[in-house]
Amino acid sequence: MRPQRERLLEAAVRIVAEKGYAATTIGDLTREASISRTTFYELYPDKEACFLAAFDSVVEVLMRRIVRAYEAEEHWPQRARAGLRALLETLAEEPALARLAMVDISSVGPAAQRRHRVAMQRLTPLFDEGRDFAPRGHRLPANTSRMAVGGVTGLIADDLVAGRTEQLPELLGDLLFAVLVPYVGPHAAVEEIRLGEGRPQPGAVNGPGPATAGRPPAGSP
Amino acid sequence: MPAIRSPHESGEAPQGELGGLIERERLPSGREDLPEPIVAHSQRERILVAMADSCANKGFGATTIADIVRPAGVSRATFYELFEDKEDCFQAAMELSLADAMERVVGAFSPDKPWATLVRDSAAAFLDLLASRPAFARMAMVEAPASGQRASEMHAAGKRVLLTLLDRGRDEAIEPAIPASAGRAAIAGAESLIVGQILAGNAERLRDLLPDIVYITIVPYLGQEEALRHSREVEA
Repeated sequence: MRPQRERLLEAAVRIVAEKGYAATTIGDLTREASISRTTFYELYPDKEACFLAAFDSVVEVLMRRIVRAYEAEEHWPQRARAGLRALLETLAEEPALARLAMVDISSVGPAAQRRHRVAMQRLTPLFDEGRDFAPRGHRLPANTSRMAVGGVTGLIADDLVAGRTEQLPELLGDLLFAVLVPYVGPHAAVEEIRLGEGRPQPGAVNGPGPATAGRPPAGSP
Repeated sequence: MPAIRSPHESGEAPQGELGGLIERERLPSGREDLPEPIVAHSQRERILVAMADSCANKGFGATTIADIVRPAGVSRATFYELFEDKEDCFQAAMELSLADAMERVVGAFSPDKPWATLVRDSAAAFLDLLASRPAFARMAMVEAPASGQRASEMHAAGKRVLLTLLDRGRDEAIEPAIPASAGRAAIAGAESLIVGQILAGNAERLRDLLPDIVYITIVPYLGQEEALRHSREVEA
């Protein structure tokens, strides 16, 4: 049998996705996890602490998958694309986890919101590699990567709220644009979306910005 | 929580008049409808200010009626004469701050201003308003989206107004194929920066974010050089 803590956190993810955070009681959690109330209070002082621990575990899963996909690629636009794809695929496969991480967390209170922000900002170093890649990188405003992360999570949350969880992978082009446009501008960002699902030639994306006008069309050798 | 979509995304015809837009979104519109300034000292306004303060300190969920009536210097009975319950009071406080915020945006609006100037002026007015009233800023930007159906709908309606204004940049866009969601992503990015600053307790310094917000909202439409130029110009 898996450890009680692990069962409890998984139960929290499921129940909160089903009933919402406010309606979830400690009784729901102990029943779903098959643990006693005494055990619950040995592990966490209250419902909020349990929820935040569940959130942290969800974030760990997401970050592991994003970073693994990101690091498997060499050039920044492909790295961003791979990381975003891993994020979307994980969220689409795990709707309960998706809701907890991207939607429910913001309705729990100030402590949870701060935790949410800290988690989101773990993505900023990945996006900020765009600075080294972009010709105008050093001139961009200080908070560029934070805003790019905010754009990505905002678009994902909108789709989750609209019940489009299974279709999340279709959002890849939109997210890619949101991440790339502040670093490379709209022309290069649109071109990068067009390179699309087919694995682009690494050499074809080394010169973003105005230089894209002279680039070979997507998919050409 | 309703999803935010621009008219561009939903296929509606763009609305010419901002006034009509606000009316369609059921936001408080005409100036004569606007509540008295928050500094006025009626019981009702003291309650609304206390509500905002308590939300700023402990969040809407943890706020009790006692947290509101004590600092407002009114009795529970008075509270319930004026408001049905906590949610009703929160709603009224939201309406007050949203009407105020929208009035600032409308104030910055003028049909003969170039689009980028309109974006700069609206963003500056909006940030100045939030910075001058930190408790209300927190309520409108942090608590509202998570505080029940009515408040989150108002918050979403306010965002749709801003999005429709921003997406007018499509008329001047240098790249025709930018995704339909580009404006929504830019606003989400700006919003997340503002919320972060408020949560960090730095609402008074929200104006410092203006160059960043001008950049992220202009860059999808006019490109990096123009966005950087406008961003630098507001830095002063």
